[in-house]
This record gives sequence, structure tokens and C-alpha cells, in this order.
Amino acid sequence: MGSDCRFFRLYRINQSFHSITRNLVTGDFAMTITRRDVLLGATATAALVPFAARAQTSEVVIGVIYPFSGGSAQQGVDAQKAYETALEVINKDADFDLPLAKGEGLPGLGGAKVRLVFADHQADPQKGRAEAERLITQEKVCAIIGTYQSAVAVTVSQICERYQVPFVSADNSSPSLHRRGLKYYFRAAPHDEMYSAAMFDFFDAMKKKGTKIETLSLFHEDTIFGTDSGNAQAKIAGERGYKIVSDIKYRANSPSLSAEVQQLKTANADVLMPSSYTTDGILLVKTMAELGYKPNAIVAQDAGFSEKALYDAVGDKLEGVISRGTFSLDLAQKRPMVGKINEMFKAKSGKDFNDLTSRQFMGLIILADAINRAKSTDGEKIRDALAATDIPGEQTIMPWKRVKFDEMGQNNDADPVLLQYVGGKFVTVFPPQAAIAEAIWPMK
Amino acid sequence: MTAQAIIQSLASGLLMGLLYGLIAVGLALIFGLMDVVNFAHGEFLMIAMYATFFLFAFFAIDPLLSAPLVAAALFVFGAVVYLLIVRFAMRAKANAGMVQIFSTFGLAIVMRGLAQFFFTPDYRSIPQSWLGGKTVSVAGIFLPEPQLIGALVSIAAFAGLYFFINRTDFGRALEATREDPGAVALVGIDKNRVFALGWGLGAALVGLAGAIMAVFFYIYPDVGASFALIAYVTVALGGFGSVFGAFAGGIIVGLVEAVTALVLPPSLKSVGIYAVYLLVVFIRPRGLFGSM
Amino acid sequence: MDKSFAVRRRRDLLIAAVLAVLAGLAPLFVKDVYVQNILILTLMYAALSQSWNILSGYCGQISLGHALYFGIGAYTTELLFTKFGVLPWFGMLGGGVLAAIIAMALGYPFFRLRGHYFVIATIVIAEIGLLLFQNWDWAGAALGITIPVRGDSWLKFQFMRSKLPYFYFALALCCLAWFVTWWLEDSKWGFWWRAVKDNPDAAESLGVVVFNSKMGAAAVSAFLVAIGGAFYAQYLAYIDPESVMGFQFSLLMALPAVLGGIGTLWGPVLGAAILIPMTELTRSYIGGSGRGVDLIVYGALIVLISLALPQGLVSLFSRAKAKNHVKGATR
Repeated sequence: MGSDCRFFRLYRINQSFHSITRNLVTGDFAMTITRRDVLLGATATAALVPFAARAQTSEVVIGVIYPFSGGSAQQGVDAQKAYETALEVINKDADFDLPLAKGEGLPGLGGAKVRLVFADHQADPQKGRAEAERLITQEKVCAIIGTYQSAVAVTVSQICERYQVPFVSADNSSPSLHRRGLKYYFRAAPHDEMYSAAMFDFFDAMKKKGTKIETLSLFHEDTIFGTDSGNAQAKIAGERGYKIVSDIKYRANSPSLSAEVQQLKTANADVLMPSSYTTDGILLVKTMAELGYKPNAIVAQDAGFSEKALYDAVGDKLEGVISRGTFSLDLAQKRPMVGKINEMFKAKSGKDFNDLTSRQFMGLIILADAINRAKSTDGEKIRDALAATDIPGEQTIMPWKRVKFDEMGQNNDADPVLLQYVGGKFVTVFPPQAAIAEAIWPMK
Repeated sequence: MTAQAIIQSLASGLLMGLLYGLIAVGLALIFGLMDVVNFAHGEFLMIAMYATFFLFAFFAIDPLLSAPLVAAALFVFGAVVYLLIVRFAMRAKANAGMVQIFSTFGLAIVMRGLAQFFFTPDYRSIPQSWLGGKTVSVAGIFLPEPQLIGALVSIAAFAGLYFFINRTDFGRALEATREDPGAVALVGIDKNRVFALGWGLGAALVGLAGAIMAVFFYIYPDVGASFALIAYVTVALGGFGSVFGAFAGGIIVGLVEAVTALVLPPSLKSVGIYAVYLLVVFIRPRGLFGSM
Repeated sequence: MDKSFAVRRRRDLLIAAVLAVLAGLAPLFVKDVYVQNILILTLMYAALSQSWNILSGYCGQISLGHALYFGIGAYTTELLFTKFGVLPWFGMLGGGVLAAIIAMALGYPFFRLRGHYFVIATIVIAEIGLLLFQNWDWAGAALGITIPVRGDSWLKFQFMRSKLPYFYFALALCCLAWFVTWWLEDSKWGFWWRAVKDNPDAAESLGVVVFNSKMGAAAVSAFLVAIGGAFYAQYLAYIDPESVMGFQFSLLMALPAVLGGIGTLWGPVLGAAILIPMTELTRSYIGGSGRGVDLIVYGALIVLISLALPQGLVSLFSRAKAKNHVKGATR
């Protein structure tokens, strides 16, 4: 135990030392440093004390909790790039019509800069919780944002509630999350029921135009995301009179999906509705091609179907696939800043914004805007500022009406869009006010 | 459920089963030789898939051509793992079984970490290859070419292995070392060399499987985990140490998986495999073809 | 021989009592909740590993499926609490008893299996349990169960911010598991187990009694692990199948015992005291990079320790002691 403690302390000293040097580089370090100190490597003890006093006003620390190792590490690494892009917009002067873009830092806190602390939850609710607690008590973060996996969001938001620190659920889509009556929980993006409702609105509209859509096949994985999505879709299908001819729940990361695809093929519904992560999505599409199953239309619940990796692998077989989303690069035609911010992100990650990374970017902007208006790093004040958020849709990079939270912390004005993959890129086809093209139906 | 659909399921199950057999046989071979279970076997598969991927991405070598190269690379890798780690694990005077399990298990974690470090956690796949996406249709039954070739390679590999063990000097040395390591030393056979070659051979076989899998599967640092448990169950079902058992075990696992998915919700299809394993070992505690 | 054994046992009990008191005082000095969390997890895994050690270490039946009992403890407690309002304390006992019954039911066919066949059977049965819970809608399936925390209450065993009650429960569980092991070492069962270990042929002649004692060990082991599962569920206030029944728990119960010294009284505690803080600290302080460095460090340490000290870290102590003995004798 003794040696571990030492390791632990060394690490922390090392970390504070890094933040000092970082500030030296950005010129944010206002203390006079004698040449001797510099020569001695700005001895930690001498520099630490006045620095700690300054830290409160010059820096706002936000915790970011994601999976950085394990099966979904890629999402964590991409998220890191999205948050760093948002950080650049906030901390540096940028000419965008976004909250906090103009000017440097947070004017409400005297131009304080935002700093992010990343933590790894390895997709484990216990680890997510431990990291949240560490960030709040040791790193003194004033808010937390995360988490990709919904199961981890459950425990992280519980801890935030207990410490009265706001939690912004940037990219979790499980509807059960905001229904727990937590005071410090906020989600600007839609949840799965809103997404699924949009899909069925789309089906209704297509039916009016004379397209035959009567039967559906649901295909969803067995973790919290797929289960929630499948439940929501089955419920709405029942309400609106669509017949589900096969409802297949499969084990995530199965070595083979032949038997599952065989059943989909036998059912041969008018629309196939997959809720799959990237790995299973790739295997699904490959297996479908191998077993000669060509559905009339695929309308996917995002996740894997918005990932570049999936289209790199099997894009040629997906001409005309439709996926729900909250983001569309088409918006750049109406709002040029969307394209510019996308370029900033692309320079860091080598990828275009997708449904996840755009939500992460926007989540941090909304959170920082609230901190700025709260003029404080106090959890309760930030919470109240978040609750009072009212950002018009034009000041986001999303096709949303606006950002305004209900009493549960959910933004109900975040309209989902449906995107169709045509000629190697996504085109918005629904809802009509955001669409730039008619949906191609059936898919090729 | 039409008859055609059932035949299709069984055909897919059989092809997948042969591939499971090929993935698992290296494990069976190593165990048969020295009673060691390699808990990093899934990670060996992962490395093989990455090797295939990078040979394709940088040198445009089709997986079908690179398969022998990958197998050769894995041969070296397997031998090195034996010399650097397993050799020492075998020397443990106490708790030998535990030391072997946990040293190879630790290796698995290191390999995943290294893969993430060097290859990033991105999901990779080989979009275009000679076999990828092609399929043969016989009377409405679809047989995907990658799996079909995989099945043929698997059968050929098993036949070759059978010949190798029974008809060559090295095979006989392998058998002899397995039966009595002490006596072998007296005849002048270096036990360590035989074991290293055995590990190399076991790894080369999983390398072959990895090259074929890379055609139709996705690749990322944790991909081995999807196959590891199936490989262990396959080997145990067939009987540890029996090469033929791995072959039969693979086919059984593939078919049982396909049939279970027809009668139970597909998310429970592994339950069928596990239940069959338990049933078999309750009746035959050494698996189907394991030596008593 | 007999005398020195009795002396050693009395000394072990004394050391344990001193350590327990010292551990009990730790919260006076450790105010940081992050460190407190690490202490709680360390004590919990020490308890779990100690329980695992009874079956797998002393009896030599290596189980990599104890996550099943952990999950059963967690789910029984929370299903009874959220669906029927049964207090967690009763649920905890109920879960423990249920796990013990299942362990004995499984033990009957399982103990006929040898070596890796047994290990894989345990992995497979835990995996079946995981899949069933993952698909059992009434038990929340993949969505899991969220435990409503409405304030501090000993009755409901839930506390908003304070970690001390959880800390002392984990400490008590750890002491209980240690004491049960200590007591078993000198019991009839312990004697048979040692006899079987020293001389496998003795197993044949002892046949039935050994089989029964193994069933007993399986039941005790499963019972304690299920209590641990119930504790974990209360502590986390949220459970889902993967996070209480996943394979990683089976490993995390085995690893401390293996690193510390399998089949020894002190191995699991020592192993947990090193492994769990190491796991947490590597993740917290080098895991955020997304480069997998924490995995490399963690895996490499497992390889090195298992190769360098096959008898676990406790062998360092006994080796030092053996040297002292030699010195004393020559003097």
C-alpha cells in the first residue's frame, strides 16, 4: 500500500507541474519568475502556492468521461477530438455565430479559459462512477460531460446529483435516463423515442405518397442501447399500425450473424430497422450480401450506421441506406460555419463530424455557455443557468429548433433528421423543412 | 420456416463450424503437446487479422496470397512467445496450472494494449478482395466464398496436420515429447526446441484462420474476445489434446449454434453451445475424443 | 509440528486482529473519497478473493465462473427490494442462500470434471447466467435495475455521500471471509483438503467425505461471494447484467489470490491490496490518453508476477522467514 501511495502522490505533483508549464507556454502565468527559478525548473513548491490561488479565476475545469480502452475506445478517442474542437472555439477567438465563439475564454468569468480533464470509464458503470467522484473531489471540476454508454451515464449522473454538479449527457440516447427525476441531469440531444418517432413520421409521409410500407423487421443488439431502441420501435409500430414480421435481438459482437440474417431474409419485411454498433453493423451488411438478402429499404438507428468505419468497410453495399441522426453536413449550405467547424474537427481527427461527435461538440458549447452565464463555478448556479438555457437553433451546428430544457432536463426541441447515404455522402431527406432531396425508395 | 431456410442455416453453420475448428486447432495442438492452455489465443487471432489487413493496406496483397505469409509470421511469433514467456511458466514448481493460465492471460492484456497503442482502436476491414462479398448459390442455398474457401483451407489444414504428426520425423518427435519428455531428452531431442516449434505451429494455424477471417470480419484490438471462449469450448468439447476432436468440436459448435438460433431467440444462441458442452462433459468427462 | 502449527495459527489471528483495527482506523486519516473508494474496492475484492480461495485454492477446484454467484447476490437483493420492498439485509441473506444452493446443485455434476474441463464448465455456466439475465425482461434485461437512493438509511443500507458505512461493511465482510478461511484450515475439511493436495491417491480412498467437503466449500464460497455481490449492488445503486455478472468479475476474484498466493491464508488479502489500487490508479492516471498504455502496464505486471513468484507474493515472506530459521539454527 505504501509504495502505491507514493506513486499516486508523485503523479499528482507531476500533473500540477504540467499545468504550470502549460500555462507558461500560453503566457497565462502572470507571476514574476526569477531567472533562478526558471533555471531550477520552476521548483514545484515555489510556483504552486500562488498558482493555486490564481487557478480559481483563470481556469474553469470540466470533466469528460469516456471509454478510452476496451471495445469502444474508438468512440472515446473520437469524442476527445470533438471536445478539443469545441475547446478551441471557446478558448480562442472565432468568428462563428455560436455562444462563446467570439472573444477568448468565458467573458462572464473575466475571460477564464476552459480546461478539460479526460477520464477513462472502460464501459464499466463502477469505473465511471469512481472517475466522476475523482474528477469532482480531486480535479475540482465544475461540471461533467459524457459518456457514450448509457449504463455508465446512469451511475455518473447519480454521483453528480449527490455532489450537486451538473451532468451533461452529450450523446446517450436511452430515454430512461432523463426520467429518473434528477435535478442535475441535462440532455440537449434527442433520445431514442424521439428518433424512432421521426422514423415513423417518415414512414407515414412516404405511405401518403403511395409507397408500400406495411411490414417491418427489427434487428437490435442486446445491450441497453439496442434493447431501448427495439422497445421504442415496437411500441410506436403498434400504435401506428405497422406489422413487425420479425423482431430479432442478437448478442453484441457475435462471431457470426448468419442465422439472424437468414431469419430477416425469410421475413422479408418492407423495411429493415437495425440498431447496431459499428462492429455488428459491418458484419450484418457483409452477411446480408453473402446470403443474398437485399431489403427494400434500411432505416437504421444511427450508432454504427453513422460511423465512417462502417462505410469504409461496406459502403458500396449501402447505397440508399437511411439513418437517423441529429446532424447533417448539408446544413453547411445554409450555415457556412457548420462547414468551417467541421474542417477544424477534420484537421484533428481525419473524419467528418458524425452524429456522435457533433452532439459532443454541441454539448460542451451549451455547457460552457451556461457556466459563462452563471458567472460562477458553483454547481447549483451552473445548474440554474443550464435550466434557463434558451439558444435558438441558428446558433448551433445542429438542425434543431432551439435548445431549451424541460423540467426533466431534456431538450424536446431537438428535431432528429433522417439522412440517406447517396453517392458516398449523406443527404438529408426528412423532415421536409430540413430536407434537401427526396428519399430514394426502394434503395439500390 | 421453410425447408430451404433450414438447409441454409445448417450450411452456414457447417461452414462457420469448420472455421471455428481451424481457429481452435492450434489450441488443441499446444495443449496436447504440453498440457498448457494458451489464454491469449484470441489475441493471436487478432494479430493475424491485423497482419493480413496491413499487408493488404500497404502492399495490396490479397488475403488469399498473404495467408501463408501471415501463417509464417505467426509461426515466429508463437515460437518467440514460448521462448520468452511460456518456457518460464513451465518451470514453475508450484501452482503450474495457475501460472500458465495467468501468464498467458496477462500476455493477452498486453497484446490488446499494444494493438491499441500502435494500430489505434479504429475498426478496420478489408473492403475489396478476391473473395470478399462473393457468393455461390446452389438451388437457392447461398454459400459465401470466403467461408467456403475457409472451410476448404480448414479441411486441408487438418489433413495436413494429421499427415504431419503421423508421418514426419518432427511429428514423431512431437508425439514422443508429449508422451515422455524425460525419455526424449535421453535420445538427444531438445525438448525446448520441440515445444517452441509446437507453439509456432499452433500459432501458424490460427494465423491461417486469421487471414481468412480478415476477408469478411471486422478488425479491432478486442476482436479476439469474440472468438476466444468459442475456441476453448470447441477444444474442450472435442477433448483436450485431440486434433481430430477440435475438428469435430468445431463442426458441432457451428451446427449447434445455427440450430439454436432457429429455436431460441438469437441472442441466446450461445446458450445452445454451452449447454451441449456441459452435456457432453457430464457424460464423457474428457470430451468426445480426449484420451482418458 | 503440531505445536508450531497451533502457534502459527494463534499468531495469524493476532496479526489479523491488529490489521483489522488498523484498517478500521484508516478513515480517520483518509478523507479523500476517491482513495476511500479504492479502499472499499480493495476490501471487497479481498473478501471475494478470500471466498474464491476456499473452493479454488484449498480444494483445488479452479473456478472462473464465480461471477455467477456475485450476480445472483446482486440481483436477488435488488429484485426483492425494488419489486417487493424487501429490505436489502434480508435480500442479501436470501441471495447468499440461493447462491449456496445453486453452487451445490452445480457441484454435484461439476466435481467429476478435472482440470481445464472444470475451468471451462465454470466459465460457461456463468456465461449462461449472464445471457439469461440479459434476456430476462422482468429483471430489467439489459436496462438493469436502478436502485432509488432517497437519503441516508441503515435500514435500507444506502448513503448519499458518506462512504464510511460501506467501508466498514466491506471491512467486516473481509474479516468474516478471512476468519472462515482461518477456521476451515484447522477443521476436518481443511485436513482432508491438505491430504488430497499432498497425495492425489488419498482422494480415492477418502472418496465420499472429500466430495462432501468440496460441496461444503462450494456452498460457503458461493454464499460469501453473493453477499459481496449484494454489497456491490447497494454501493453502486445500479446494476445491469454485464456490470455484475461479466467475466471480468470471475477474473478479479481469482487474480488477487493468484498474485498473493493461491491456497494460502494471506494471499488473497495481500494480492488485493496490491492489484486493486494498481488497477484503479493506472486507469485514472494513464488511462485517459486513449492509447492503451494502462493495459500494457497492467498486463505486463500480471505476467511478471506470475512468472517470478509462482507461489504468490506471500512466498516472499515465508522465504525471508525460512532464511531467518537457517540463520538461527547455525548460530
